[in-house]
Amino acid sequence: MAINSKITDILEAETGAKSYKAHKYSLDNEMRPTVDYGGESNENIWKRTMETTIYKAPIDLSFLAHKLSANEEQLFTYFLDGSRRVYKVDHQGYAASGTGSRMEIYPILAGQIGIGCCKREDKKMKKEKFITETVISVPDKADADGKNGFFPALAKKINNSSEDLQRLNLEIDTVLSYSTRKDVKNDKEYEDRATARIQDRMIEKEKEMVSTLVREEKLNQNNYLIKDGSLEYRPTKEDRKDKRKLIKFQKNYAWVLGASKSFNPSACLDINGKPNPGFIANLPLYHRTPVACFSNPSIFGDMKFAVWYIRIRDQAKTRTPFDGIIKIEKMLTTDDENMYGMDSDLVDTLSALIINERNPVCYGADLRWANHIYPMFLTENFVKSRYISTDSFLQLF
Amino acid sequence: MMKMQPIGRVLATEKHPTTIDKFCFWTDANLKLHAFDVVKVERADGSFTYGVIENISHITDAQSFLTNYISSDFGNAEINAPTLRIGMNYVDAKVSFNNKNNETPVHNNDKVFLATKEEIVAALGLDKIKNPLVCGSLRMYAGTRNEVSLPVNLDGKFLLGPEGAHLNISGISGLAAKTSYAMFLLKAVQDCGMKKNEEDDEERTTAFIIFNVKGQDLMAIDQKNECEGNEQEKEKIQKQYVALGLSPEPFKNVKYYVPYSSERSSKQSTYLNSTDMANYIRHGQLKKYKYTYEDDKESIEMMFSNIDDPQQTMESIIAKIIDENDMDFKSLTIWNEFLEKVSEKAQKSDSKGPKDEISILSWRKFKRIVNKALKNDDMFANRADKGRNECRLSDEIKQIKAGEIMVIDIAKLPGDKQSFVFGDSLRTVYDLKQDVFDNEPNVNPPDRIVVFIDELNKYAGKDTPKNSPILRGILDATERGRSLGVVLFGAEQFRSDINNRVTGNCSTHAYGRTNAIETTKGDYSSIPSTYKNMLTRLEQGEYILQNPIFRSLLKIRFPKPIYKQFK
Repeated sequence: MAINSKITDILEAETGAKSYKAHKYSLDNEMRPTVDYGGESNENIWKRTMETTIYKAPIDLSFLAHKLSANEEQLFTYFLDGSRRVYKVDHQGYAASGTGSRMEIYPILAGQIGIGCCKREDKKMKKEKFITETVISVPDKADADGKNGFFPALAKKINNSSEDLQRLNLEIDTVLSYSTRKDVKNDKEYEDRATARIQDRMIEKEKEMVSTLVREEKLNQNNYLIKDGSLEYRPTKEDRKDKRKLIKFQKNYAWVLGASKSFNPSACLDINGKPNPGFIANLPLYHRTPVACFSNPSIFGDMKFAVWYIRIRDQAKTRTPFDGIIKIEKMLTTDDENMYGMDSDLVDTLSALIINERNPVCYGADLRWANHIYPMFLTENFVKSRYISTDSFLQLF
Repeated sequence: MMKMQPIGRVLATEKHPTTIDKFCFWTDANLKLHAFDVVKVERADGSFTYGVIENISHITDAQSFLTNYISSDFGNAEINAPTLRIGMNYVDAKVSFNNKNNETPVHNNDKVFLATKEEIVAALGLDKIKNPLVCGSLRMYAGTRNEVSLPVNLDGKFLLGPEGAHLNISGISGLAAKTSYAMFLLKAVQDCGMKKNEEDDEERTTAFIIFNVKGQDLMAIDQKNECEGNEQEKEKIQKQYVALGLSPEPFKNVKYYVPYSSERSSKQSTYLNSTDMANYIRHGQLKKYKYTYEDDKESIEMMFSNIDDPQQTMESIIAKIIDENDMDFKSLTIWNEFLEKVSEKAQKSDSKGPKDEISILSWRKFKRIVNKALKNDDMFANRADKGRNECRLSDEIKQIKAGEIMVIDIAKLPGDKQSFVFGDSLRTVYDLKQDVFDNEPNVNPPDRIVVFIDELNKYAGKDTPKNSPILRGILDATERGRSLGVVLFGAEQFRSDINNRVTGNCSTHAYGRTNAIETTKGDYSSIPSTYKNMLTRLEQGEYILQNPIFRSLLKIRFPKPIYKQFK
């Protein structure tokens, strides 16, 4: 194989496929695509209230927020965001079983994954950690033999054979495979499966980074981490088996909040525990909802998550009633929390601090400005700024 | 030497590319940099490209003013946000040179550093100056721990000829200190000219003619500046001169010339008081100048330099007067006779006589002008009595010697007579350097004569009549004086008022503080807009200097005068 081969040629040669040299393009058409991964799954079991004080109405935090702001009190130090860019780079065909020359054609996707964590010091944002990965998502049939170690070897082969990659100081970190099960409604679904594999990889990397931060003991009661999006980190099998490890895992997440800009309004529960999007939509300014709780034994085991909503912008000044509302998630980590719910004072403080994060805004730079908090926006932009441009990336294939 | 840390990186985008001339770099918003500071960029080939800062901008990620407004809860000025909006400074720099002649634009993300003293000197083109003549000092990175201060030298041959000559200083009165700067440069010429020049075998000799146009300003330049008894200040100024390689002494070899007025006359024609005058006379330093009809009638035209003469009738009259064969005027010897003759001409002509070519109306106009100038002015006399410290200015100029400074006082003269004296003197200097007087005794002019005149706009303004004899003289001096050794240091409030041919011939331009209206004029179009705005904020003692030897404009400072100041 010539050293300057394109990656699609190497794939073609190594997997015995036929490349159809499809048009290469980016699959991301939004500013930052999000794929919900079961955030408000139907299997979730909801519990109406999960905090030490029982509230019947939204809680006004404007005074507390003002007080904390005046004293410049702060608990949020770290901000984490992961994102990925997915590209369709080829269609490759594999000879179908039978005597004819029929080919089964599958999409080949590539992705750039970036996970960044920024630290806030003296009101200024600094890079704490950053990892990036370049991945390829191919159909599982690409591995003709079905042996372990095929895909890592393929990645290595590509890295050794592509001069373009070496020139850009890049390497394919992993080759992911997606299922070619035939229960698809249309061909587009293969693309979705390939994308989902890249998305899973990104989540995996996010979790790794949170673990690293925890391991390095950077997070504590004075230094919380806010993670962009939902917070559903399930413990590994090992964690579940070993009670001590599980406690440690839970303890690690005591200082992590998930802040979501977008959420499924129909899954919002009102005071009576009924789904009632209007309850959230009409949440007054600088108020939070009482804390609800959900669990999903099949996915998270015993893990429970506290969820509440905060309005940080005046409804009159946003486009839709759900603009200006942030959904906060926190893992319940202690026995007390699991039994009696979260300490309402802590929830109030965290919520008031989130309210204080309403300024500055990224109005003009991001359509979701009303739901964005600025440090998160900067972290997101930091990650984005590290991607290789689409044109350069696609030239590799 | 301490290794410099990078202060930023080069920016190159589609809309803002780097070019052979310019580049941009980002830097920390809190880093103190100034316009005119020199920075260097490390290139991939190991060379360094040097640039001079032209502008510094601060930006944030706020897309519009509205973004900031919204960030204060829609207009609450009390709001303190927990995160500072991300901001940075980006700096526009003009390329000065590359130390390995790599002229390709600097690349995106190349590292940018502050420069060392030696590098600054090289970057500005100050390292290979052959005939150094100090013209001030410059300060880089002011207010930081990397602050650098160094003297700036011009190449004497590019200020005093023969490579380039003439200086133009502009700036508003009082704030720009134009006279002080011109005198500082003259001091440098006097001091440096006395040093042996290693490269030239022979030393070039220089003399100076300075016109005092305001009060007693330049009437004590050989006396120390006592700073009104403030010893500390005095010492500080002297140290500054020493640091620049100049002697902490006032001017040497100075002679003063004041317009003659009779001691009995109540109207004195100088601001110099009688005690000082007596002192100078006692030391043989002062003479009173007179103009005599016989010798100075050719300069009468100077009185008409600002008078419109579309029909050239005044010119015809003057030509008639100086015509050695003219029946009417050839035999006249004193001003009174001349005035009588003019009066006669201005009267109704005798119908019997031959018809005069020049109309009576023209003669009357001529009479009005000369009468106003000559009547009741002691300066226009029958003869100069050398025994009473009187002289003819032209004779004195003809005998000027190397190293001498002639201060000619015209401060108290009215405008037309100032023109007369200046025009007559400049013409004499020009003729002297053209060897017109070589056959006269005691004429041994130095290699160069530097003439300094303030309020140049009076003599070489854009609205000065084209046939003005003084303008002609100034143009001659600026266009051909470089090779002859006549050097003009001119100063004016507004550079845009000066005839383009005059400023165009000046090799060195010093821009002092001026106003915003002035900087919008075309004369300033070659100056970057940031520098233009700086011109309106320059402090006293600061100038922006342009000279062909410098790779870019320089902002320099110079010390306060070392000679006596009058308040």
